[in-house]
Amino acid sequence: MNDGKEKIGMISVDDHAQEPANLWTDRLSKNRWGERIPHIERRPDGTERWLVDDRAPELGGVASAAALMDDRNTEPQRWTEVPRAVYDPTERLKAMDADGIDCSVLYPTISGVGGEVLGRIADPELELACVRAYNDWLIDEWASASARFIPQCLVPLSSVHAAVKEIERAVRRGHRGVILPGIPMELRDVPHINGPEYDPLWAACQDLAVPICFHAGASAATQLKPYAGFSPAVASAFAALTRPASTIFVLVNFLLSRILFRFPELKVVFSESALGWGSYLLEYADYQFANDRIHLEGYPLKPSELFRRQCFVTGWYDRASLQEPGLVGIDNILWCANFPLATSTWPDSRKFVERSFAGLSDSARRKILWDNAAALYKIDAKKIG
Amino acid sequence: MKIKFGLISADSHAQLDRDAFTSRMSKEKWGERIPEVVEVKDERSKQTVERWRVSGRVIGSYVANCPAVMNDRKVKYYPQRWEEVPAKVYEPLARAKALDEDGVDGEVLFPNTPVQNFGFMQAKDPEFELACVRAYNSALAEWREKSDRFVPLALIPYLGGIETAVAEVERAAKIGHRGVTLLCEPSTLVPTLPHINDPYWYPLWEACQAADFPAHLHESGGLASAISFPRWDGFTPNQAHSALTVPTGAFPAEFIPNLIFSGILERFPGLKWVSAETGLGWVNYVIEGCDHEWERRRLWNHGVPTRPSELFRRQIYVNFWFEKVGIAQRDKISPDNIMWESDYPHTASTYPESWKVIEETLDGVSAEEKRKILCDNAKRVYHLE
Repeated sequence: MNDGKEKIGMISVDDHAQEPANLWTDRLSKNRWGERIPHIERRPDGTERWLVDDRAPELGGVASAAALMDDRNTEPQRWTEVPRAVYDPTERLKAMDADGIDCSVLYPTISGVGGEVLGRIADPELELACVRAYNDWLIDEWASASARFIPQCLVPLSSVHAAVKEIERAVRRGHRGVILPGIPMELRDVPHINGPEYDPLWAACQDLAVPICFHAGASAATQLKPYAGFSPAVASAFAALTRPASTIFVLVNFLLSRILFRFPELKVVFSESALGWGSYLLEYADYQFANDRIHLEGYPLKPSELFRRQCFVTGWYDRASLQEPGLVGIDNILWCANFPLATSTWPDSRKFVERSFAGLSDSARRKILWDNAAALYKIDAKKIG
Repeated sequence: MKIKFGLISADSHAQLDRDAFTSRMSKEKWGERIPEVVEVKDERSKQTVERWRVSGRVIGSYVANCPAVMNDRKVKYYPQRWEEVPAKVYEPLARAKALDEDGVDGEVLFPNTPVQNFGFMQAKDPEFELACVRAYNSALAEWREKSDRFVPLALIPYLGGIETAVAEVERAAKIGHRGVTLLCEPSTLVPTLPHINDPYWYPLWEACQAADFPAHLHESGGLASAISFPRWDGFTPNQAHSALTVPTGAFPAEFIPNLIFSGILERFPGLKWVSAETGLGWVNYVIEGCDHEWERRRLWNHGVPTRPSELFRRQIYVNFWFEKVGIAQRDKISPDNIMWESDYPHTASTYPESWKVIEETLDGVSAEEKRKILCDNAKRVYHLE
């Protein structure tokens, strides 16, 4: 489909698959786990909500589908109202066709955008069972349906050993990225993410050449809560702005953590980050690291150099930062449609891209829309037709 | 203010003299609770040092935050005894000479040691808080009597009800203050207070608008207690300082969207807001991001009638000091909304080489825009004709 001449193909590096009602109930032992298995419950007012180990994920409905609703400020309240393109791979491909998108890198929804909902399940065995079920389902139902879907696995947070084993298993099954919440230690009693305890996990990702992906919004500690007096529409818009901005905290920590010095081949994606703050942040980091004289303390590269060697940020509506990528660099920018969130460019992605990319050279366009993501996720244009 | 150099710092820090509070607060009534410099034993060095003490609490790890004016910038020294503190930090006429030395005409004054979180609410005593705030505001207003090169910003009391805050703003306007400096979200530090968006605060905005007092948010604006990346014990003090300061742009990037969606700007269209010591780099993110969500969700139907970028241009000002990237993208922000700051006498300050730094950061900027950014915008915002 991508002939490489007239039209540059598009890889969206951040979209969300919707877990169907029976994902976990079909795959986990009812005898063993009973009502703790993630499932949908009907509430007294007739609306439906997910329950994961007795907790309701923070979601304005029973699925995340705002971009497909008549009014983008609403979410489906019953499973029967959920648009099929959200959970049905065949319908999803049609929605991608309608928007001119060739490939879609997938993140979860009910499991948490960064796996943080499953990561909060206290029982390590139940957590692992839920994670494995998600990872299997995404291969069986989505990746097997089309090479245009790029699956990424979740990991159990309860033990690094279990996480490494699951990453190895998932990558063998075809997963191409590893999703982690930026602050696992806010979800359960585990070491700080900067600690050496996690080194086997980074090593596994480096050895298997799969990127670590931090999705914005997975870390409550870094996001301002919306004002209780906001209408649902404004509250959701506000959260859509604090989410990308909260990546600033996660990225700064990662640049300081020295993990990237220990694992120089590891690639890290900050998805739904937006681009607007990136160049400034790196300029400030360079300035402040020098000011704090950190280069004398085992930091052989400036933060901006480290970022360009190993990190990626993702944009969807951004304009100014594409015109002047500055310290972020064209090679480190990925594009996404953010389907099916309210903020998504769908079904106008081509229009958004035209507006954002105006004046960019063909090679810069091609890198951001295709080449950077294709290299990162090992996507072969010839195999996706 | 007489303009000789064409440079006004929109963010510097006034160190009040050691007797600022003792000479203004009733010894009989407040006794040892009055903020003053006292001798204490330093836990680590076992040396006798001097610290500010406020209502029994010893503040900070130094007696004045002024590393930029100490002898050797490279070692980042913070004075431990009052006699070490250079007069050009706390004595207005000596300080005016330092301004001359640095080629700066005037400076907008934010607080320094021992003020924490822009107020005196920590003792949880409304009467004590008000006495301290009044002493602070009166002492700083006297700087302006000595020289109109000083542009003081008032603190407000939070604990005594909104009428008390309004009365202090009105008093501050009479004695020469030109604005107020505030917490972004007072309820994060004083949980009994309503959210900043609540109509409770409207009389304060009304009073500030009437006095043409810009409302100032400085650095994290007190939000660091609400959102932050969990501390890691593995960082050295220098690395911990970078971890704390580099994400600063995240605070306005998360808070300004709240301000834009709050309705405060619409309701008080003459009230200006200034984000100080946060740089410019987050601004494109907020402008493009808020506009994008506003369009995608048709927020004009949900209580946000004016396009966010228009609100920003009309009422929000941002300060910068070291950035080149932010300046390169200034046309998206509007040169009418940018002010220069020196951050004297803090560690990040451009003193005593402010013009050298300006030559680098504003390289290629037209003479007209330079005039606006370095001087004219501040003259206009603070009525310094």
